[in-house]
Amino acid sequence: MKTIQNIFLALVATFFFTGCDAQIKNPKTETVKVYGNCGMCKRTIEKAANERGIVKANWDIDSDMLTVTYDQTKTNTDAILKKVAYAGYDSDSYRAPDEAYKNLPECCQYDRPVKAIAMAENPSQHQGHNMTADMPQNNDVLGAIYSHYFAVKDALIKSDGKTAAAKATALNKAITAIPMDKLKPAQHTIWMKIQNDLKTDAEHISETNDVKHQRDHFASLSESLYTLAKSAPNGNTIYYQKCPMYNDGKGAFWLSQENTIKNPYYGSAMLTCGSTVETLKP
Amino acid sequence: MKGLLSLFIVLFTVNSWSQNVKEYDLYVSDTIVNYTGKKVKGIAINGSIPAPTLHFTEGDTAVIRVHNKMHHETSIHWHGLLLPNEQDGVPYLTTAPIKGMSTHTYKFPIKQSGTYWYHSHTMLQEQNGMYGAFIIHKKEEAPMPEYTMLLSDWTDANPHEIERSLHKANDWYAIKKGATQNYAEAIGKGHFKTKLTNEWKRMHAMDVSDVYYERFFVNGKTEDQAPQFKPGEKVRVRVINGSASTYFWINYAGGKIDVVASDGMDVQPVPVDRFIVGVSETYDIIVTIPEKGNAFELVATAEDRTGQASLWLGSGLKQLQQPLPKLKYFEGMKMMNDMMTVGGNMKDMGMNMSLQQMDMNAVMYPEITGKEQPKMSTAMPDMSQHDHGQHGGTNPDIVTLNYAMLKSPVKTNLPDGPVRTLHFELTGNMNRYVWTLNNKTISESDKVLIKKGENIRIVITNNSMMRHPMHLHGHFFRILNGQGDYAPLKNVLDIMPMETDTIEFHASEDYGDWYFHCHILYHMMAGMGRIFTYENSPPNPQLPDPKKALKMVYNDDRRYYFSAEVGLESNGSDGEMRLENTRNFFDVEWRLGLDKKSGYETEAHFGRYLDKNQYLSVYTGFDFRYHNSLERSKNLFGQISTQDQRAVACIGIIYQLPWLVNADMRLDHEGKARLQFTRKDIPVTERLRLWGSWNTDFEYSVGSRYILTKYWSLSAHYDSDMGLGGGLVLTY
Repeated sequence: MKTIQNIFLALVATFFFTGCDAQIKNPKTETVKVYGNCGMCKRTIEKAANERGIVKANWDIDSDMLTVTYDQTKTNTDAILKKVAYAGYDSDSYRAPDEAYKNLPECCQYDRPVKAIAMAENPSQHQGHNMTADMPQNNDVLGAIYSHYFAVKDALIKSDGKTAAAKATALNKAITAIPMDKLKPAQHTIWMKIQNDLKTDAEHISETNDVKHQRDHFASLSESLYTLAKSAPNGNTIYYQKCPMYNDGKGAFWLSQENTIKNPYYGSAMLTCGSTVETLKP
Repeated sequence: MKGLLSLFIVLFTVNSWSQNVKEYDLYVSDTIVNYTGKKVKGIAINGSIPAPTLHFTEGDTAVIRVHNKMHHETSIHWHGLLLPNEQDGVPYLTTAPIKGMSTHTYKFPIKQSGTYWYHSHTMLQEQNGMYGAFIIHKKEEAPMPEYTMLLSDWTDANPHEIERSLHKANDWYAIKKGATQNYAEAIGKGHFKTKLTNEWKRMHAMDVSDVYYERFFVNGKTEDQAPQFKPGEKVRVRVINGSASTYFWINYAGGKIDVVASDGMDVQPVPVDRFIVGVSETYDIIVTIPEKGNAFELVATAEDRTGQASLWLGSGLKQLQQPLPKLKYFEGMKMMNDMMTVGGNMKDMGMNMSLQQMDMNAVMYPEITGKEQPKMSTAMPDMSQHDHGQHGGTNPDIVTLNYAMLKSPVKTNLPDGPVRTLHFELTGNMNRYVWTLNNKTISESDKVLIKKGENIRIVITNNSMMRHPMHLHGHFFRILNGQGDYAPLKNVLDIMPMETDTIEFHASEDYGDWYFHCHILYHMMAGMGRIFTYENSPPNPQLPDPKKALKMVYNDDRRYYFSAEVGLESNGSDGEMRLENTRNFFDVEWRLGLDKKSGYETEAHFGRYLDKNQYLSVYTGFDFRYHNSLERSKNLFGQISTQDQRAVACIGIIYQLPWLVNADMRLDHEGKARLQFTRKDIPVTERLRLWGSWNTDFEYSVGSRYILTKYWSLSAHYDSDMGLGGGLVLTY
């Protein structure tokens, strides 16, 4: 019995040690630059790079250098740096997706070697033909309103009350900041009419994290903004969409930049329920 | 003099004609490839997978010699091309199959331009690597930098084995994908009720695709490089989905994408953030290389998000695209529960869905509907929102392409002609992998007769649980998408569950049989399609025996698939072997004990599924049993089994109850009745399955199985006749 026990222990021990001390076969070691900040970065970078028995990584905070030892029959430096970039860290081979960088904790928001990349907005030049000369000006003036509105809407699609509140605060600021002297006369009139309603609804949304309450105000906010969008559309096509079920079947509307339905009134339960009732062309 | 002149004319014509002939030689051969560290069989053309890209100019005459260097037959279909029927390349239907070690010459005029492709139309060869791009340039095309992005899916498994597993509803692929949606996972995510309802409605784990693929490719590589493009340059990328069964999302790390053509036909440019390419669809897009020393990732992500393939445009520091997060399967399951009636029909809750405008799958996309919330968060909203607010970030509206956004630059109205409307309902049974149109496979239905000059309008409703890319051979159809005279022309229509779309085409050909089928390879082989045939077509010289040829076409969906489950346990062996096709099944079940007391029992049946959803089947067969016990017990109906040794004939009826319980009522020729309830494969965890059965003879058994590999499981079960046992189960 004792022998069996011993054998068992020996086996366990063997497994334990092989597990810990997983030797990397066909090893190759390289040192490359990976941009980062702090101890937390070190953990994230190494976690992204490490692969049991294949990659062992060590990142140095002071020099920003990552030393990797890897099995050269199974992977290579490029593949490792790609994984590190997906975790949010730039190297001289890969620039991380902006979203991955933004998702890093605040203390890890290191200085990126390439700050921002200018994205191509409209690859083919057919867009924007029919824009009148003074349209861009109006876009600049009202553009902030629309973009904050869409941000509120996106938060509501995800039933994310906290973000919706934050975005509504920004919307509220933007409403206050509208330079009325830069609006065309017709728009000025409409703006005067809806300005207070917009502000009230935005304030209500910003003051709570309760998604239900936010949606009630979002419904009236959307209708006010619609009257504005009809007279002063922003640079892109806006779709005016309807959820037939909201408010006990009375329905509610919202504005979207795409024709596809993503209903902000019910979250994922009724995400694609609704229809486009009007298309507002720029 | 006159003779000389005509000779001159003849020479001149021949000469000018021959200038436009473009010839290719394609050598098809078996090959061994190694993409994953494992050597497996593939089929190469001119030594490569994918096949070489063929370039033509509108007005050329194509002469393509296909040399089959294999010992089995093959074929090549020119996808999306307008050509004489016998050049279409569907073996036995339009064109002679290319036998092993022989050469077949295709010759047809090129009457169109755009992005197309070619592939084998023989069995599952397309999955083995037989696909290539077919690019036709416009006669006077403004020169523009361009690149072809041919997408495909690769599996190390034998495609025939995949097909057999699908028909058996083996969930090994779901295990590999992490998509078993088992009860433990459901409970952990607070979706126990969702899972229960789902099984109540007789559905297995849901997914957006059926097959597990080891690799996804751009031009045969996981990552393809195109460093030749300069900053600021606009590049036309010809995206072709040459995969067997994978839809791909296309995203670009360098900004907006302009869609400028689909299925070879130009559309008015539409700027989008992303779009999905259905199986066999093509899209031409224009992207810009932004003005910096960077390379940008144009990435194709499999719809089930198990993998991706990239094309790097430009050179320098590589800008990665944020990968698409994993699907929230239980949200999809919840949505399916709402849409599915207990009777097995899809209902759209009063929404008129069409043209990909309402993507119901969006409930599963974390980038749109937010990250999956752990169960706790519903109880403590404040905490979860705190976390969420930090990481969710702002997500500007993602513009996704849908068919309603496609608009032809020219009027596409059909020529005048009588209009005939056909209604096709796409139907299917996921559990048995039966895929049909109007509940009939290709072989079960007649060809659809059409007349030259007619306009055929097809109203298609998808009443199945999966999306289907429906492809029409030799014709373009208009998608009636609200663009009026400018409806886009396509030859593939992706139709999502519960959608209804209308397409129309002009019967412009003179003769022949033209396929209309789902381009998911395994759906097509299951018989999801129809054949349009022109009235009064002349005999096809390539098919000297048309009856036999048609039988060969029909055989594709008439095949039987074998499966078996063999248990080898300490208390004996039980098992089952089945042979089944679309409607019929043969099966043999046995239980062999290790001693006389437990005895043995075998049953053999031949049966047929009766209803649309295949819940109901009837069978006839015979049983032998022997066991040496002195107990004489009454069954539930008060009948006594009188013999230790019995040989009886029986008839029976099986109905699948909610929660996937099979009720099996049978009667033997001695008048003895038995009702048995069985539930198999309850997914408890990713690899643990429970099962149980009980019958009116008061026999029962319960057991469990832990899946080790695709074929082997550890098992333990208790049987009222044979007692407790444990061992191995072979699942084939």
